[in-house]
Amino acid sequence: MAIEGADLVKAAAFLGAGISMGLGAIGPGVGEGMVAAKACEAIGRNPKEAGLLTRTMLVGQAVSESTGIYSLVIALLLLFVV
Amino acid sequence: MEELGKIHQLIIPLGGHAITLNLEVILMTWIVIGFLCLFGRLTTRRRHIFPRSFQIAGELFVSVFYKLTGDALGEEHVEKYGPLICALFMFLMLSNWLGILPHLEEPTKDLNTPFALGLMGFVIAHWAGIRSKGFKAYAKEYFQPMFFMMPLNLIGELAKVVSISFRLFGNIMGGSIIILVVSHLTYSVLLPPLLNAFFGLFVGTIQAFVFTMLTVVYISVQVQ
Amino acid sequence: MDMNILTAMKIAAFAGGGFAMGMGAIGAAIGEGYTAARANLAVSRNPKISGDIFKNMLVGQAVAESASIFALVIAILLLFLEMPSGGYIQAASLLGAGLCMGLGALGSGIGSGFPAAETCMGIARQPMVSARLTTNMLIGSAVCQTPAILSMVVSLLLLFMQFENIPFQPGWGAVIGAGLSTGLAAIGSGYGGGLAAGASCEGVARNPNTAGNVTTTMLVGQAVAQTASIFGLLVSFILIFKSFPETRALSPAIALLSAGLCMGFGGIGPGIGNGQAAQGAVRWVARNVHHATDLMRIMLVGQAVSQSTAIYAMVVSLVLIFVV
Repeated sequence: MAIEGADLVKAAAFLGAGISMGLGAIGPGVGEGMVAAKACEAIGRNPKEAGLLTRTMLVGQAVSESTGIYSLVIALLLLFVV
Repeated sequence: MEELGKIHQLIIPLGGHAITLNLEVILMTWIVIGFLCLFGRLTTRRRHIFPRSFQIAGELFVSVFYKLTGDALGEEHVEKYGPLICALFMFLMLSNWLGILPHLEEPTKDLNTPFALGLMGFVIAHWAGIRSKGFKAYAKEYFQPMFFMMPLNLIGELAKVVSISFRLFGNIMGGSIIILVVSHLTYSVLLPPLLNAFFGLFVGTIQAFVFTMLTVVYISVQVQ
Repeated sequence: MDMNILTAMKIAAFAGGGFAMGMGAIGAAIGEGYTAARANLAVSRNPKISGDIFKNMLVGQAVAESASIFALVIAILLLFLEMPSGGYIQAASLLGAGLCMGLGALGSGIGSGFPAAETCMGIARQPMVSARLTTNMLIGSAVCQTPAILSMVVSLLLLFMQFENIPFQPGWGAVIGAGLSTGLAAIGSGYGGGLAAGASCEGVARNPNTAGNVTTTMLVGQAVAQTASIFGLLVSFILIFKSFPETRALSPAIALLSAGLCMGFGGIGPGIGNGQAAQGAVRWVARNVHHATDLMRIMLVGQAVSQSTAIYAMVVSLVLIFVV
């Protein structure tokens, strides 16, 4: 079975998109979980500041999620643009 | 196994475009709305200073969600957003529970329902942000920390709509597929009801709560 | 060397069976070893009740072993079952079944070690509540096995479904992708569920009065942590049951394979992260039970946000399946 060049490029782009988003999701997932665990600990220690701690947690998670969003952007670029 | 992926659709041609209506989802949504109207009618029918059974349930519900809204958004916004949050949770919870009745399905199993609700939350949150901060301060946030981060910030905001709606859809759809497949594989009388209780009642309630809390959180990020 | 369908199926079945049992043994072995290590520590702290601790260690290890027993079942089926010859696609699906079960047993095996270990430590600390602790451990490790059970369901489907009508060219990607999706995604959820269950056993031992609240928080946390593996299962089912048109090109098959890879890898991190969040919440519910509702709320919000990358992975997978 002969495989054409364009077909191979497309296949590589698909594989790249899958691996980019898949592996890119591991880091933010674990990192945001750590943030949430520490936020729970902080609220357990000092429940009065729950509102402030929730906001801090969300901002921290939003920042650590940005690498996941970069992966998403790269995956979508590989799928639709390349 | 043939039930998977089969949808009754009504397709209306309109000026070159076809409008597709998923009939079952619309019917199920109306059933949920009917139940909610009934609940509202029962809780407010005989209001009294000494509440009776239904009124107690209603008051408990409303006070819990008003308190949640107040904790997240600040007391000054409770009157404005409390009813929305309450209604959202009740609708989602009942929608997720509907699948445990025979012949009925969860309207949230169709991606359109969670996506519409997620889009609604997104628009409300950003409108609240523009209203409270002014358009200039609102727009300036997208250029943080550097101006060239604007497209990524924009995608990050849009990705929130995707994640909130796909989370609900994936959980409810995954649960109903597991129930369907296990019921086909085992023919047992014990396992499918247990799975229904777990995925329908337990996961359904948790996911409804998560969706509601995330909507509150998105509004609170914009307002404060 | 001539290569016919039967040879290909035998090769796939043996490779898949070996992979299933080999990978499936890793998780349970680590989990049980951890349990035994903590049990030794517990006996050294409180040698008087070594009998109780020993009993509990064996029960906990028996539960942790169930993940590898699932893998053993699938491996034996792969080795000895006479498969109806359904073409090369059937060979690919046998390989997918082995991959799915081997990877899927990994997380649950490691994860169920944590509650067993913490229960041993807890009994040494509070011998009076050993019955409550054992119940809590059994609930926690049973829920923690769910991802492995989901993998077994997908493996059995891949083993026993008839794929004759499905063309080989995109089909092989779909069946192997289906195996990888659930198998990989189950790693994170199993491990994360174990973290939550371990923290709850520790919490019950620390403050037995809070046992009800702690168990509830653990169950909610584990249910959310399992979302990642449910997403994996969803992608697997779409890959198994959707029919794809036959092509001569390679790229559609690779797209389906990488849809499975994407969802599988994407589920690992959020599963572990959700487990960590649940662990933090459960631990602090035991210490500060008056604010259990606050803790549960922030746990749910934190878990929901940390799940979003798994959802992006699911979106990319669905795009790979349906759009391109």
